[in-house]
Amino acid sequence: MKLLGKSLLELKKLLEDKEISNKELRDYFLKRVRKYNPALNSLITVSSEKAHPTGVPLAIKDNFCTKGIRTTASSKVLDNFIPPYESTVTQRLLNHGLSILGKTNLDAWAHGSSTETSDYGPTKNPWDLSRVPGGSSGGSAAAVSAYISPAAIGSETAGSIRGPAAWCGVVGLKPTYSRVSRYGVIAMGSSLDCPGPLTQNIEDAAYLLGIIAGKDLYDATTSSLPAQNYLKELNLKNKLTIGVTDEYFEGVDAETKRMVDKSIAIFKKNGHKIKKIKLLSPQYAISVYTIIQRAEVSSNLGRYDGIRYGNARNYFADEAKRRVMLGTYTLSYGYYDAYYKKAQKVRTLIIEDFKNVFKDVDVIVAPTMPTSAFRLGEFEKYPFFGELMDVLAEPGAVSGIPAISIPIGLDAKNLPVGLQIMGNYFNEQTILSLAYQFEKETNYFGVIKKGFANYKD
Amino acid sequence: MKKKILTKEEILHLAKLANLKLTEKEIEKYCKQLEETVEFVENLNELPTGKVKPTSQTTNLTNVFFADGEKSKRTFESAKATENAKSKKDGYFVVKRIM
Repeated sequence: MKLLGKSLLELKKLLEDKEISNKELRDYFLKRVRKYNPALNSLITVSSEKAHPTGVPLAIKDNFCTKGIRTTASSKVLDNFIPPYESTVTQRLLNHGLSILGKTNLDAWAHGSSTETSDYGPTKNPWDLSRVPGGSSGGSAAAVSAYISPAAIGSETAGSIRGPAAWCGVVGLKPTYSRVSRYGVIAMGSSLDCPGPLTQNIEDAAYLLGIIAGKDLYDATTSSLPAQNYLKELNLKNKLTIGVTDEYFEGVDAETKRMVDKSIAIFKKNGHKIKKIKLLSPQYAISVYTIIQRAEVSSNLGRYDGIRYGNARNYFADEAKRRVMLGTYTLSYGYYDAYYKKAQKVRTLIIEDFKNVFKDVDVIVAPTMPTSAFRLGEFEKYPFFGELMDVLAEPGAVSGIPAISIPIGLDAKNLPVGLQIMGNYFNEQTILSLAYQFEKETNYFGVIKKGFANYKD
Repeated sequence: MKKKILTKEEILHLAKLANLKLTEKEIEKYCKQLEETVEFVENLNELPTGKVKPTSQTTNLTNVFFADGEKSKRTFESAKATENAKSKKDGYFVVKRIM
């Protein structure tokens, strides 16, 4: 049977109908891993067949603790760490009969936007091996894009799901902060971290969100609002008011801009109302994020002392050390008010800004990234390049609202471009439904199919 | 805006707080990069925030309780808890002498 490009839900049905065996399915993906992973470096650990013999195999970002499977966060500090417990996200996937194919590469500790800061070497963009996949969930995005895995789990602190989804031409959903448990996710920015799915279509994203969302006893910050059956309600019932703001088009590459405009015309054609809105410049969110995230990083990385697990602190690489140093500085005596507290206050302004706008519109659409994927090595050349690339994701991240990135075509360099739909708090259903309608209408201009066609069986 | 100059002593103090050992080259590099970052985030001062309350979390959750023992299901035995440790004795982690 031809399996190339079958969605997670299609594969699940084939297994349930006994059209294909668990072994055949796993062997199929393992064969693809052997064939394509050496060039892409998407998976850094493949799980043993004994541990996960049944269920559709998924690729999991290597910052989710997986019981008995090495978990490194792509840092040599955790080179030898075998978690004795399962993260809530992966536990829920296993409870639903899914399995773990392997662990995907990321920027070390998820610090980055290109997957180049990984201590296990960069992941390559499946569309052009001389380019980065985006990050930090670059390995997960590349795995879905090249069909090394039918779907993947990533995590986002600011842009780490949406960015690589846009640059690898797949669907990436960042849920509302607190919608999905962080228990067992190697902490980066604790007030920002959101696990979420990277998939080839909206149905798979809705299905996975339905599994991983919801209250968790082991993460006190999870919301007690019940998770919905996102898959069941995918058809939009109403016409929406879609907010568009000039602030999110400043400095955006002309071609990306044109493609986003074309997609907005499609939303309009489907009967939705486009409304011009005004939002704070995302430039402020970069500064808020830079301060708050580094502060939280310096605290979260304090626990790695090599005593209980992992290696000693001299194993930290450059990017982690730089972030810890800055976070320590902004939290230290005398500077706390000027930096950390100021950032927390501007964070409030960004939240209020979104809340006001969501009184008038149902969703906001914007480009996901200012350009398509960069070449390997570019990020190192400029300070703040990662933050500047994530600029359009950062306001949503610091405010905690949900957002999804979907492919909207290929640019002249034959690289995917993404559009993001941001929604109000806990309104994942609306952004998924609008994206679903767009998918039905355009099939993402063939981006996902073309991506798979580059990686034949 | 007045440029904030970080001294080598300040960098070393931060490294001590963060429990990181830095090489001379790193000290120089981080000195420069920290300065750049501090300059970079200056734009926040363009926004008046006098009466604005700081946000430390976005969930608005307060007083999240759980019943005693409710979380015990995932408690480890000491053998399990110490299985990743390089140095252990009788089910305990071995640490450097602190006094």
